[in-house]
Amino acid sequence: MFIHMKKLILTYIATALIVFTAVAQNADQVFKAAGTPVNPKVPISWNRYYDYAGVTEICKKLAAAHPNLIKLQSLGKSFLGKEIWLLTVTDFTKGKHNEKPAMYIDGNIHSNEIQGTEFSLYTAWYLAETFADTEFIRELLADKTFYIAPTINPDARDFYMKEPNNPNTPRSGMIPFDNDRDNVVDEDGINDLDGNGHITFMRRKNPNGRWIEDPEFPERMIPAPAGVNGQYDMLGFEGLDADGDGFVNEDGVGFYDPNRDWGWNWQPDHIQGGAHKYPFSIPENRAVADFVLAHPNIAGAQSYHNSGGMILRGPGAEEDLGTYNAQDVQIYDAIGRKGEELIPGYRYLVVYKDLYSVFGGELDWFYGSRGIYTFTNELFTSYLYYNRNLTGQEGQREAYRFNKDLIFGDAFVPWKEFNHPQFGLIEIGGFKKNFGRATPGFLLESEGHRNMAFTIFHAYHTPKLEVFEIKEKDLGGGIKEVTVIIANTRLMPTHSSQDLKYKIERPNLISIEGANVVAGMLVQNADLGLITEQKTEPNVLRVDNIPGMGTVTVRWIVSGNSNYTIKVDSRKGGVVSRRK
Amino acid sequence: MIKKCVILSALLLWLILPGFAQTDYSNHAGLSQRVNNLARANPQLVKVKSLTKTMGGKDVWLLTIGTGDVANKPAIAVVGGVEGSHLLGSELAIAFAENLMKNAGTDSIKNVLASTTFYILPNVNPDASEQYFSRLKYERSGNARPTDDDRDGRMNEDGFEDLNGDGLITWVRIEDPTGKYKIHPDDPRIMVLADVAKGEKGTHIVISEGIDNDKDGVWNEDGEGGVSFNKNMTYNYPAFTPGAGEHAVSELETRAALDFLFEEGWNITTVMTFGPTNNLSEPVKFNPQAVARRILSGYLEFDAKVNAMVSDRYNKITGTKEAPKTTPGGGDFSQWVYFHYGRNSFSTPGWWVPKMKLPADSTKNLKERNPTDDNTETNYLRWAESKGLNNVFVPWTSINHPDFPGKKAEAGGIVPFVQLNPPISMVADIAKKHTDFIIDLAKMQPQIEIIDLKTEKLTGGLTRITAKVYNKGALATHSKLGERSKWMKRVKVTLNTTGNQTIISGRKIELFPTVNAGEVLELSWIVKGSGRASIEVGAPHTGFRKAEVNL
Repeated sequence: MFIHMKKLILTYIATALIVFTAVAQNADQVFKAAGTPVNPKVPISWNRYYDYAGVTEICKKLAAAHPNLIKLQSLGKSFLGKEIWLLTVTDFTKGKHNEKPAMYIDGNIHSNEIQGTEFSLYTAWYLAETFADTEFIRELLADKTFYIAPTINPDARDFYMKEPNNPNTPRSGMIPFDNDRDNVVDEDGINDLDGNGHITFMRRKNPNGRWIEDPEFPERMIPAPAGVNGQYDMLGFEGLDADGDGFVNEDGVGFYDPNRDWGWNWQPDHIQGGAHKYPFSIPENRAVADFVLAHPNIAGAQSYHNSGGMILRGPGAEEDLGTYNAQDVQIYDAIGRKGEELIPGYRYLVVYKDLYSVFGGELDWFYGSRGIYTFTNELFTSYLYYNRNLTGQEGQREAYRFNKDLIFGDAFVPWKEFNHPQFGLIEIGGFKKNFGRATPGFLLESEGHRNMAFTIFHAYHTPKLEVFEIKEKDLGGGIKEVTVIIANTRLMPTHSSQDLKYKIERPNLISIEGANVVAGMLVQNADLGLITEQKTEPNVLRVDNIPGMGTVTVRWIVSGNSNYTIKVDSRKGGVVSRRK
Repeated sequence: MIKKCVILSALLLWLILPGFAQTDYSNHAGLSQRVNNLARANPQLVKVKSLTKTMGGKDVWLLTIGTGDVANKPAIAVVGGVEGSHLLGSELAIAFAENLMKNAGTDSIKNVLASTTFYILPNVNPDASEQYFSRLKYERSGNARPTDDDRDGRMNEDGFEDLNGDGLITWVRIEDPTGKYKIHPDDPRIMVLADVAKGEKGTHIVISEGIDNDKDGVWNEDGEGGVSFNKNMTYNYPAFTPGAGEHAVSELETRAALDFLFEEGWNITTVMTFGPTNNLSEPVKFNPQAVARRILSGYLEFDAKVNAMVSDRYNKITGTKEAPKTTPGGGDFSQWVYFHYGRNSFSTPGWWVPKMKLPADSTKNLKERNPTDDNTETNYLRWAESKGLNNVFVPWTSINHPDFPGKKAEAGGIVPFVQLNPPISMVADIAKKHTDFIIDLAKMQPQIEIIDLKTEKLTGGLTRITAKVYNKGALATHSKLGERSKWMKRVKVTLNTTGNQTIISGRKIELFPTVNAGEVLELSWIVKGSGRASIEVGAPHTGFRKAEVNL
């Protein structure tokens, strides 16, 4: 009876959930938690992951619910024909999205590194759903545009979720490739021997083996200490040798690394393992690159990966050390250090020296080729299990402890016997594919929010230009001198050093409209009279850079007394004007 | 109009009389005709495909020439047009195909086609080369993509102008004491930089023919002509330089060519490029420092030796000599072939202006009496004169140049294209020699065989099988760098068993990184069971060989 009642109640609750998740909660039933939209138009559970169809539905719902804040488009099609969704988030009632400084965010370039997608979606959702209540967000979306591509590897995202994988696979996209160069493509991929969708490990009892069970967590295998007899052989990830060449699972789906495919100092596979044919020979990346090339207003970018709790900047390759100069590093440092504060457990690091030296990464193309200040966050870190960093054996036990005490064993497949066609009687077991790299459910919203806050800080510090001051001085004879100060009140300059060095984007155009211009000039130092005249087209002054937290001064000599408008047209600083 | 008629009638004659001498290089329409005529006339041997249409709407042709299973035997790709102003490159590539088909009936060519497939891409940058046939002729490398060459935010705002109305873009010289140029002391037609270090003073400003449309102080720096095929490759890619594109392999034709080479060209061992780089007259030199870093900047020692061997054959077969040394530019195709595609890469312009001796000076000693001139322009004019060529120089004539009001300005100079492309009448002979060279190269390709197959009965129903894989070609199956490339298959040896057979010793499948020229791989298995088995050896670029075994 009691059992029956409980079942009934559960069914009742489940039905209620199905009904109520589809629409917003009744406003009378909820009480606002600080910093979170209390009654969002689009209710989304942020403690789970979404497949491609789920991502698509969220994108469509967000765009439908917030027509003045979110627009949805496709950047192009993936290899298997899926749309690569892009959400443009800005206040569309205030200026054109492509005339505001923009922050580009993408997730999931490595198909098994999934939570960047949810964090990207969370960002779009949060910006739109808090817009009405939060003045800071309203101002942010008046000034800035966010271009958000939740997954730029949708094919293999679904493959990771729906097909057997381990936490590290497939990483690649789905273009078939002959990994072992034997003239047969993808003939020896992953084998889910126990049929549970997770590729775990294989062990075999062997009194001469070199592995034993950890006394504290018997499911954990550790090397037998010197002088102690072992109990097991470790036989690697669950799998078999399908083609009889003596190698297990050496040629599965893929393989190429989508993050070795970007066109800055690109190197081929025999130098940089994982590269494909040439830069952007992977269609998903090509779609992103074409979009970025067509949107020079992108001034900041984030490409989400996992894992390790890192806020990474370039250079990716040691050979590119000279590309990142001191002025730009200062900007990176200011933003990166703030990130360490916003996301406890994360460290601000440089790819080539703190991780590995690598060519063809996305963040290097964004910065090296487009002059865009770009970070890659490596999401999730074992620090988040207990908000501490233990080292050595104790550090390695954290995951087992967390699995046991906080998620009650849900992440582990217990060792179970299996009769293997090549290895004989073995046991299969280990952590599931959704553990280790992917953030556990109850931590997901928190980590997503903190990462979003970091990208908002990053976006906030894209340039903000204003026509700060217009001064007139009568020179007599119907001629006057108009001196204009343009201020940039944020950290980033309109042109990064890399941008200036290679003239990636054209100079800022500072123009005077409606006045009869006699001469125009750039004022390096008004007090000491350091001035450079621009003889051609003096009404449109070409200013190479407007520094972060700084100003530039321009001057025109005009005749007559008409009203005029000063306009600043900057690729990455937006378009602003002021009438006099 | 007259010129158009001449080209048109030349085309018509070409259709009717395949042996008829050409009167000029082929424009895109003409080349397309020749490509398709080859396929029509040799349907069993020649297949034609358009790899893409360029931004200018022109087909990038691929000819596949061969017999039988063309995808599974060693192949040579012959590529022309990598440099748009080098019309000869295109001409040599298509002429090779025509020469080959002319002799397709001979035993010699039949044998070559039995063992080799040829992929011919006669013109990979047709947008650029078409400028030669346009109303306004200038040496153009860029395709039809609009580009902001000077990166000032404006597209194609400062191109050439034909100031003297002759349909050619040459040069303008302006008398000006601040100029850096002076008149060549031996040939007043030629302008040279004054050597300030020797106390010389310039007398002229020299600019290309045109005006400074955007008033930025630079002449003709951003005209029509977008991305150059030969600057758009990934090796040593010259980012942010005019003609390189916004990133490597950004163009329709570069992508199409590389997609073909990567995805369908698994059997290619060697690429022969007719372009500006010459590693055949003089081979590349091995430099240990250049291979010490992870980004290679020089050939591996083994591959440099192969280059030297082939270079030696080239010089003997073509009889060419005194080639000027070339330094490949960043992003060029022939270097990409070796460094990033991992294949044997051979490249030659096919022709260069011979070194002309200066008139003898009896006052000098014997060694100095017949020096050559290191000024390529005066050398060219001397050569042109010796060949009786007219219309290679536009005499300096006065013009009014709006950027230099009140100054004496003259337009003139050597006609575009002539220093890179010989008169068409010379081309048939050049093409014949280079055809002979490519046929010789085909005969050097790797050829693997299974030899010395033996079986020995052991006790208990066991049989030991031994065999050798032998490469009787003059080239290894892989360049040393190609051994590292995932874009070249390994040489696979498979023992196919049947029925109740089990392999007791030896590998069912084994992959070998390479089989060098003359090398022998020893194979050995022990098999239990009876009946037929077979050994299969090969890769697409070596061809596959199979041997049956009776157990």
